[in-house]
Parts: sequence; structure tokens; C-alpha cells
Amino acid sequence: MDAPVVTMDVRKVGDRTAVVDIRGEVTSACEAVLMSAYDAAGGSAARRLVLNFAGLGYMNSGGIGMIVTLLVRANRQHQKLAACGLDEHYRQIFELTRLDEAITIYDDESAAIAGASG
Amino acid sequence: MSRRRQPGPRRLAAFTVASTVGNERVALARVAAAVSACGLSPAQLERLKTAVAETTMNAIEHGNGGDPSLPVAVVVDQDGDGLVVTVTDEARHGSTTAAAAEVPDLDAKLAGLQSPRGWGLFLIRQMVDRVEEATEGTRHVVRLIVHPGDGTGTAEARL
Repeated sequence: MDAPVVTMDVRKVGDRTAVVDIRGEVTSACEAVLMSAYDAAGGSAARRLVLNFAGLGYMNSGGIGMIVTLLVRANRQHQKLAACGLDEHYRQIFELTRLDEAITIYDDESAAIAGASG
Repeated sequence: MSRRRQPGPRRLAAFTVASTVGNERVALARVAAAVSACGLSPAQLERLKTAVAETTMNAIEHGNGGDPSLPVAVVVDQDGDGLVVTVTDEARHGSTTAAAAEVPDLDAKLAGLQSPRGWGLFLIRQMVDRVEEATEGTRHVVRLIVHPGDGTGTAEARL
């Protein structure tokens, strides 16, 4: 499998919220990077995770599968997932796949942090 | 009385890529360049790019089994008011046909009843106006059809 062309840097915001800055390509090749980011965000100790897609260059069906995998893991730990920074195209894909029903979408990071903390 | 002849399809691009993961991005870029002057809205172009990438990836991974010696052929035609992108693989390893594919359901995936993956064919169908699939000889052929400026059959209208 090809090496992932993506970085996912984690920032802690408050005690139990973390923001994951996703830059590059989200495909099936990014599973290890995504799960490392989840662990860096605090693993099961984190209550809220904001996925910041402002730096997203490309996402395909394999990447959507990775987001679903993360969602399964988060649901098991009763964690909330939010997303921000999605452009119109990927926002539409979230709607078509119904990911927007499980991951609340916000226009920007500050709204996502405020919403995720609510 | 002479009947006016309908113009035939106009070929905008024809190329092959090797069956190596990542080449779906090459196909996407070449198709996007070929249709740049065809009147697609920016949203239609983004959807077509996604459909082309997913279809080419299916051809690479499933139809050709990731064998770099097997080509995936991509042809772009303008036919009347429609754009037709045809993706052909060698069907050596069994293509994932739309008819055989499981319909992805997020609830089932979250409940562990379906794999988290398996969104490709679903996305392809949602991204263009029409998808046609055929076996021609020994090859598997998928045609993606888009009508520039008409969002009635695509995801825009389904949401």
C-alpha cells in the first residue's frame, strides 16, 4: 500500500476536547495516521474530537471508510465527533453518505469547538 | 430532400493508465483538463472528478487486480449535450458490478453489520447523471454520463 500523503496534527483545546488538523489526502492509506491522531488526542479519555478539514486536498471512498472506522471507535467510547472546514463538495458527500447525521458539521473551527463543548 | 446528419460524438481525450493505485488521480486530472471548456459548473466538475477517480480505482483494484501490466482505458466523448467518460478494464479478477454491490448503510456500518468501506459505487452513482455498465467481449466497461449545466439527475437534486 502507498505511503499516505497526509498529516494529522493534534491540538488539545481545554481538558477533554482536541482538534485534528487534517492536511493532504484522506484515503484508505491514512488509517495508521488517523488512528495515531486519535490516540494523540487522548484516546478514550477525550470526550470531543473536532476534525478540521480546512487543509483537505482530496478524499475518496477509502477515506470515507476511514472516517467511518473512526466514528465506530468514537461511538464505542461515547465520544462526540465534529467536523469543520469542509468545502461544498465534501460537505455534500458527508450529506449523501449521512455522515453529517453522526458527525456535526460546522463552518469553522471556533464554531465547532463551541458546539462540541456544548 | 436531404436529411441533416446528426454530428457524431466528439472525442476529447483517450488514454490508458497502468493498474497501479494512485493512477486514479492521473485519470481524474486528465479528464478534468479534457472537459474544462465543456460548460460544467464547478460543482459538476468536482462530482465528475470524484466519479472518474472512483471508477478508475475500481478498475485498477478489482477489474485488473492491481496488476500494473494491465491497462485501464479512459475515453472522454462529447455526445450531443452530454459528456461521456468511458472506463474499461480487463475484467481479469472480477469487477465489482453495481448490481452485485451491497448498498452502503451508515447505520449498518456503525452497528458492525457492514464493513466501514464499500462507498465507491454508491458515490459514483450519486456523482453523475447516469451510469451505464456493460461487458464488451472480455472487458468490463463503465460509462459516466453528465449533462453540463443540468443538475437535475445528480446529487444536487437528490439531497
